[in-house]
Amino acid sequence: MIAIAAIAAVTGATLGLGIYGVRLARTTSDLFVASRAITPWWNAAAISGEYLSAASFLGIAGLQMKIGSGALWLPLGFTAGYLALLLFVAAPLRRFGAYTISDFAEARLGSARVRVLAAFVVLGIAGFYLVPQLKGAGLTLGEVTGAPYWVGVVAVGAVVALNVASGGMRGITYVQAFQYWTKTFAIALPACLLLIHLGGLPERAAMFGQELPQAPAAGLAVELDAPQQVTFPEATSYTVDGAPAQAEAGEEIVLPAGTIGLPGGAVVPVAEGIDAQTGEEWARPVDSSGGDASPVFVYSLLLATFLGTMGLPHILVRFYTNPDGPAARRTTVRVLGLLALFYAFPIVYGLLGRVLVPELYLTGETDSVVLALPEAAWPGLGGEILGALVAAGAFAAFMSTASGLMVSVAGTISFDLWRRGHADMTVRRRRFRVAALGGVLAPVALALVARGLDISVLVGWAFALAASTFCPLLLLGIWWERLTARGAATGLVAGAVTATGLIFAGLAMEGGHPTVDALLTQPAVLSVPVAFAAMVLVSLSDKRRREPAEAALLAMHAPEGLGLGYEEPLVRA
Amino acid sequence: MRRTPRDELAEATAHGGLYLRRLIRAQVSLSAVALVAFGGVIGALPLALLLLPGLQDVYVLGLPLSIVIIAWPPFVLFIAIAVLYERRAEALEQSFRDLVEPP
Repeated sequence: MIAIAAIAAVTGATLGLGIYGVRLARTTSDLFVASRAITPWWNAAAISGEYLSAASFLGIAGLQMKIGSGALWLPLGFTAGYLALLLFVAAPLRRFGAYTISDFAEARLGSARVRVLAAFVVLGIAGFYLVPQLKGAGLTLGEVTGAPYWVGVVAVGAVVALNVASGGMRGITYVQAFQYWTKTFAIALPACLLLIHLGGLPERAAMFGQELPQAPAAGLAVELDAPQQVTFPEATSYTVDGAPAQAEAGEEIVLPAGTIGLPGGAVVPVAEGIDAQTGEEWARPVDSSGGDASPVFVYSLLLATFLGTMGLPHILVRFYTNPDGPAARRTTVRVLGLLALFYAFPIVYGLLGRVLVPELYLTGETDSVVLALPEAAWPGLGGEILGALVAAGAFAAFMSTASGLMVSVAGTISFDLWRRGHADMTVRRRRFRVAALGGVLAPVALALVARGLDISVLVGWAFALAASTFCPLLLLGIWWERLTARGAATGLVAGAVTATGLIFAGLAMEGGHPTVDALLTQPAVLSVPVAFAAMVLVSLSDKRRREPAEAALLAMHAPEGLGLGYEEPLVRA
Repeated sequence: MRRTPRDELAEATAHGGLYLRRLIRAQVSLSAVALVAFGGVIGALPLALLLLPGLQDVYVLGLPLSIVIIAWPPFVLFIAIAVLYERRAEALEQSFRDLVEPP
């Protein structure tokens, strides 16, 4: 009950602030004028608020519980991405005055074709990124209220689409900054209180020793809504709706829907797709024996997140609220600090989850460990209140990220892909609304079928696609004057095709060589070099007359105050 | 009236282009140094943990050192690199301003 109230409060506050904000920020140029007053700290909190998604709030701890310490490379990469942004993109791009990557592509390369190509890539990345947010919403609502999975998916999809279509969440820095602190508070407070309540980490043998996850001494009862295929790592007796049954070691069994009972100390069976690991295996951050944390996977993941962050469509827009290049840099440095603060905590849930909610190994829904843990660790009112707090924080995560992405999707469809021409503001606004309502349908449909995929894996694909398309476009566009439109277009297509091709090949194939599997799950280490090579080689061999890049270089790199760059950026709308 | 480098830049003369490219090169070198510092440490971490499995048996704060080492310290490194980089980048731009528009 408390949890439902907390979720309703967060959703209501977001909607309310959104509607109120429409009056404040009517047009994009208003947004720019308002931005003059916003300090780097506010901006940094807003960027972090939009960035911390279901993958950060639920996915890291969920993946950590599932595959082990290998998941801890995720927050590192998610944060390192802002270092790449700081070193190569933040200041020049802000000076250039481009709102979106499509704007940047057209202004820098003088090609409407590259703009359209970039628009399609935006839709691809946003799609990959929206699905896990909606999946998180379905899981959370199910965990809290017992509602079927689709209810949360459809509800959050509808709320976000309506919110964006009504003009809410549009550049409202303060709302996003508020979301950051909501999320950080909601993940930090329960983590600290749980550690104090439990007196540190319990049962380290199960975490780091030779043991497999076991049912607690009092036994374990798990409700299954649907039949579930599991593997029993060790022989044990169990009950199905009270009827006794017996499983051999290594036996694969399809458990029927109903209440599954395990005696105290029995090794918990694992759902399809999860490997039963001893504590020692589970604690290894890198594993050369062909597990989920193989070195190839770790390096590919680090590369994808390091280079992919700059290409996420909802992130660069936020940098626009910085008044100038140096302010964009200062903001990015603060973002690194705020993300480091948040990412100090998910690990606590991943560690405790293995011992305190082992039933998630059976159901396969390790992504809900953050939600399930407080009540499991602290029965009674205390746990219930903390559970409500994390549920509210999770909803803040879905709402803010999904809204940011939907704004990008609707903007891309209505500005970049809709038949151009002289449309006045009312027509444009109507198009934006239609695009927001229509654009949410595909991700909702995908989220309904993608229930079995991990949030972190889905988000990893978005990063891989961004790193293999927009990262080379931005880096070469900003720092290499010989980049041509044809080179950029070839590189975008080559990177996108390689990345998505490998990902879908990975979905179609099952269980090959571990290195091949790692590459198909996280293809960045292959697709990023392909994209860079295609852009550079085609640009160098492009014999057509190039647009003189001098003016663009001056606009991006000349310091403020000399009257050399654009100073007042290009304002669309 | 004496022509300043600023005029050369504004009129996009060959000289102006030279000044600009010198600045861009300086910025790229700075970013590259920061990138090497970051990549050297973070890139070496997975390999080091793979080659030194013994780290898992050393406990710090009740956790294996191999977990502690990736869970928190790298974030401090990121922030340190970012702060140092930001200062240097602004200093580079200031010296460009001084060069282009002598006070």
